[in-house]
Amino acid sequence: MAREVISTGNELSALGAFDAGCMFFGGYPITPSSEVMHEMSDLLPTVGGKFIQMEDEIAGISVALGASMAGTKSMTATSGPGISLKAEQIGLAFIAEVPLVIVNVMRGGPSTGLPTRVSQADIGQAQYPTHGDYASITLCAGSLEECYTQTVRGFNLAERYMTPVFVLLDETVGHMHGKAMLPDLEEVKASIVNRKRYDGKPEDYRPYDVPMNTPAVLNPMFEGYRFHFTGLHHGPTGFPTEDAAQCQFNIERLVGKINTIAAENDGLDDEADYEEFMMEDAEVCMIAYGSISRGAKEAVMKLRNDGIKAGLFRPIVLWPSPAKKLKEIGQKFDKIFVTELNMGQYLKEIERVTGRSDFTTLLKANGRPIAPLEMVAKVKEMF
Amino acid sequence: MRHTIRFTGVGGQGVLLAGEIMAAAKIKLGGHGLKTATYTSQVRGGATVVDITLDDNEIFYPYANEGEIDFMLSVANVSYQQFKNGVKPGGIIVVEPNLVHPTEEDRQKWIIVEIPIITIAKEEVGNVITQSVVALGITNEFTGVLEPETLKEVMLSKVPKKVHEVNNKAWDLGIKYAKEAKAKLGM
Repeated sequence: MAREVISTGNELSALGAFDAGCMFFGGYPITPSSEVMHEMSDLLPTVGGKFIQMEDEIAGISVALGASMAGTKSMTATSGPGISLKAEQIGLAFIAEVPLVIVNVMRGGPSTGLPTRVSQADIGQAQYPTHGDYASITLCAGSLEECYTQTVRGFNLAERYMTPVFVLLDETVGHMHGKAMLPDLEEVKASIVNRKRYDGKPEDYRPYDVPMNTPAVLNPMFEGYRFHFTGLHHGPTGFPTEDAAQCQFNIERLVGKINTIAAENDGLDDEADYEEFMMEDAEVCMIAYGSISRGAKEAVMKLRNDGIKAGLFRPIVLWPSPAKKLKEIGQKFDKIFVTELNMGQYLKEIERVTGRSDFTTLLKANGRPIAPLEMVAKVKEMF
Repeated sequence: MRHTIRFTGVGGQGVLLAGEIMAAAKIKLGGHGLKTATYTSQVRGGATVVDITLDDNEIFYPYANEGEIDFMLSVANVSYQQFKNGVKPGGIIVVEPNLVHPTEEDRQKWIIVEIPIITIAKEEVGNVITQSVVALGITNEFTGVLEPETLKEVMLSKVPKKVHEVNNKAWDLGIKYAKEAKAKLGM
């Protein structure tokens, strides 16, 4: 049975992690994400999980990675400045293929920026949070329900693709307090994905000896399956190598296991990668994600009251972007309106995918939400 | 039917909780309620605004649309001045007169009601923390937006049992002062 709860986005993200089987949280508090941490500190001890507040963000992600290497589903939560600090260890998670869920409740930046105010300016950071080549998986919650469901999904994708996954909230959805209908707990439990295990002879174990576009198979540490974790390029057993063919293969596989697979299968899993709101008969397509899509939905209804058939396309998986669908939209709609709480970070991706650069935009980076009436006024200018 | 209500104060005054209680009560009654808070990075003393949207249908944009707010309550001048323009012309603004100083123009534009919320909490209830419950009683008496018994029940469920009595008192005083103010206004 679906569960009705009254809560905030941050608390629901923690509950999603808990229901997805997360048993370890390491982190350091930062506005506006701290409540994720608070909630995990309440939830985890009730089932024998471990919660630890470390001395800083770097240590927070380090212990979370360690727990995941040991086979435990693990998470950290922070805001943009925290991601900047964690960048080095995020790189280790990518190259060593350690699953980890990283929740980023976005606030104004750069640097300490606007600590208490909403922003969507970490979209680009989520795509390339650290140096080197890799492909990121980034989910973006637009409602209280999705703070829960996308966090669950984040764990499942992390385990399936053996990679860090970003779950983006923003200050608005993170702190918003209201009603959410959560999916049935049994259904959630039935959907849980666990990382693959190698069951052969320990002496034959080669965790990174996998075909192109396939994730590594990492058994939990301390169970007799000897291998090596390193940030250096590595061969089949995880020990360092500089072999030219191996290094090229490593990176092609890291990128391909996400981008190629998503392109071939039209997504990374069976869940929705986007939402279409009143799009069937729309003559103008608005594109927005995260909390900004909420104002956009209200704008769609106001515009329709005024006789303009508007619709909303809302990406949920931001990276890899729902490119096929975005391309279709670019071909179908003459009038496209893009609004986001940054200076056009996702706009660039939409332009790249559609091959167009003639969109009407409403971009804001002052820590304030975008009101439906501002969007309505801008869309009306298109007619 | 949509109702938008705004509470403004400064960090540390506890206006956030009052907003959560209103949203929760509306949800309990089968509708939708959303609370958002906007505050500054100052720990205490920064302007805080809480927007509460109550509707029978799903609410998407979680903030009040500026100029569409039905009712505002303010216990700090800095936040009053910053956020008053969100209230629709003719809307009701309840202020703590010892701390909030509306201009003559404001009194032309809105129905300004002066109730010494903090003094009531401090002196009549005997606990300044109960100001948010005094405010809750006042708000519901003026707006009539929620069934009072449900709202009171939700309020009591959010505070420890040992302080139920003082919070009941704060609730009753809020309603009493609001009724008196309404009578004076001929409402």
